[in-house]
Amino acid sequence: MWIDFSYLCWAVSAVLVAWMLFDWYKTDTSYSEEALTSSREGEIEATSEKHKV
Amino acid sequence: MSQSTMTATPTKISLSRVLGPAHVWALGVGIVLVGEYTGWNFSADKGGSLAALIVCWVIGLLYTSVAMIDSEVTSTIAAAGGQYAQAKHIVGPLMAFNVALYMVFAYTMLEVSDAILVGDTIVAKAGTDGLNHNAFLAVTIIGLAWLNYRGVLATLNFNFIITALAYLAIVVLFLSVAPWSQGTVLRLGEMITPANALPYGWIGVIASFHFGIWYFLGIEGTTQAAEEVRSPARALPYGTMAGMITLLIAGAMTWYVCASLMPWEYLGTTYYPLWDAGKLTGSPALENMMFYATLLAAIASANGCVNDAARAWFSLGRDRYLPTWFSAVHPKYRTPYRSIVFLLPIALAFAFISDLNQAITFSILSGVLQYTFMSINIVMFRNRWPLGSIRRGYTHPFHPLPAIVLFILCVITFFAIFLGYGAQLTAMVVFYLVVSIWFHFYRYQYVRRGDQFTMPWPKPKGF
Amino acid sequence: MARYNPPEQPAILQVFDIACLVGAIFLALWFPLYMGWAGVSKSITKIDNPTWELLHQTPAQVEQWTKLGKDVSAAHDIIQNRYNYTIDWTQLLIMVVVLVGYFIFLFRASEREYRDVIDEKFNQK
Repeated sequence: MWIDFSYLCWAVSAVLVAWMLFDWYKTDTSYSEEALTSSREGEIEATSEKHKV
Repeated sequence: MSQSTMTATPTKISLSRVLGPAHVWALGVGIVLVGEYTGWNFSADKGGSLAALIVCWVIGLLYTSVAMIDSEVTSTIAAAGGQYAQAKHIVGPLMAFNVALYMVFAYTMLEVSDAILVGDTIVAKAGTDGLNHNAFLAVTIIGLAWLNYRGVLATLNFNFIITALAYLAIVVLFLSVAPWSQGTVLRLGEMITPANALPYGWIGVIASFHFGIWYFLGIEGTTQAAEEVRSPARALPYGTMAGMITLLIAGAMTWYVCASLMPWEYLGTTYYPLWDAGKLTGSPALENMMFYATLLAAIASANGCVNDAARAWFSLGRDRYLPTWFSAVHPKYRTPYRSIVFLLPIALAFAFISDLNQAITFSILSGVLQYTFMSINIVMFRNRWPLGSIRRGYTHPFHPLPAIVLFILCVITFFAIFLGYGAQLTAMVVFYLVVSIWFHFYRYQYVRRGDQFTMPWPKPKGF
Repeated sequence: MARYNPPEQPAILQVFDIACLVGAIFLALWFPLYMGWAGVSKSITKIDNPTWELLHQTPAQVEQWTKLGKDVSAAHDIIQNRYNYTIDWTQLLIMVVVLVGYFIFLFRASEREYRDVIDEKFNQK
């Protein structure tokens, strides 16, 4: 029973990896690199938290 | 391009701000709680059961300092990458690069340890011939990477539930062994005798600092969520402090139950102290509960580690310390998806080749290097921006006492790691030295200078 | 000083950088394991024909060992496996030199880079 369970674990792992790779490929091909890497540090500060004494 | 910070376009994709203090607690305690289920007990091996209790308190002091210092700095510098962003603004780029690597190492190796624990626990439970733990390692690491890929809110909601269950299991175990009456189930006086309390004497107590770190390692990871928390200045200090209190209580209960049930030689070498404690109560229900709780704690920890390691790696990409390619955010799930997937095979490879207490030692080493940095960092922070010059979300009391305590305890811990694991410590530090030279003399040419400083602060004092 | 504009790094070199870093990570983690340095300095002091008395176990402790499924000989291997805490001073000295040297380099080089950052951020507007 446990051996079968371990095969099931391998199968689930394989499916999840395949899904991530597929989604990754889909995302990278349908958005521009510039949009994907447009996150900038510190933008929270600019809007919600002012460092004024 | 250099003005891109100013001209925000509507198509901009960033991490989403959805988390509250409970998630911060779940991230912090979730990572750490596995330490009660395995790891802390190796300190009994290095110095005896009494040494394990002494280090629980002393290392608790170390981490209280960490939590206080961290709360102040992070409530002021709230960015993904946590201590990385702190180092970048306070000490300098090379320090930041190193700190990010400490975190990636500490969390990845902790994730590896967790996965090994899951695998070994299941194999031990099954007791089937020919059953290999690799399948369980793989499904843990990959499943959690997938969960993290799909979004931070679901990931940390999940973590909150399983962490709370694993914590509850410790409380239930503690209450069900009648802790108020020694002799019923617990026999502390007979397990720890004057002759075996400190089998190696005081040098053993020093040596056990090494695994004592494991009672709390990872609580500082709460800061990684800074860009995803709705109100970082409030939620981060609150979640971190609450987490620290929770863990001190859990650590004390765990020690008391385990040390009252097992001879120190066994306690120091088992991989499942709490599960064994469940067995020794003689109640199958408690035994099963502790088996499942061990799995939950390990999964919660690995989950938090995937989250934190990926964010540290992501931040490195965003500042061009590594190729910007890593700084991509998933447009739908709002997660650093490339970093998550990239770190996955590394974790998997180490899970297959290393064993539990080696992986733990690697993780501890990187952690202690980071705490050493933090003690110096806070002093520089207060000097460069004295109180009143910028708005701090939280100001920790008794400065510089926590910094001094932290620094001294770090030095002792380095010595403790040296006792038994000296060669590994030296090899690791040589590695950090080599990559630092690589970064300073080569990689740094690709980094924009002024853009790294993103906080809207005045110029630091002395520049 | 003019604003520093970093060169664009060709994609192939980016891949190479990552490969180097991952290689270094693997080397640092795997090499000590491979060389056998990772081992703990523990050794078993053997007792012939061990009994619970020779292993200094109290009756209560013996009871727990039994519940945990360990007989005398299994317990012997656990109990007699002890750390050796004699300090190797040369090794300690090497470690201290490497560690202190690393931190000195780290803070000094960071400081130099940090001055550039502050200069560009605050003095060139």
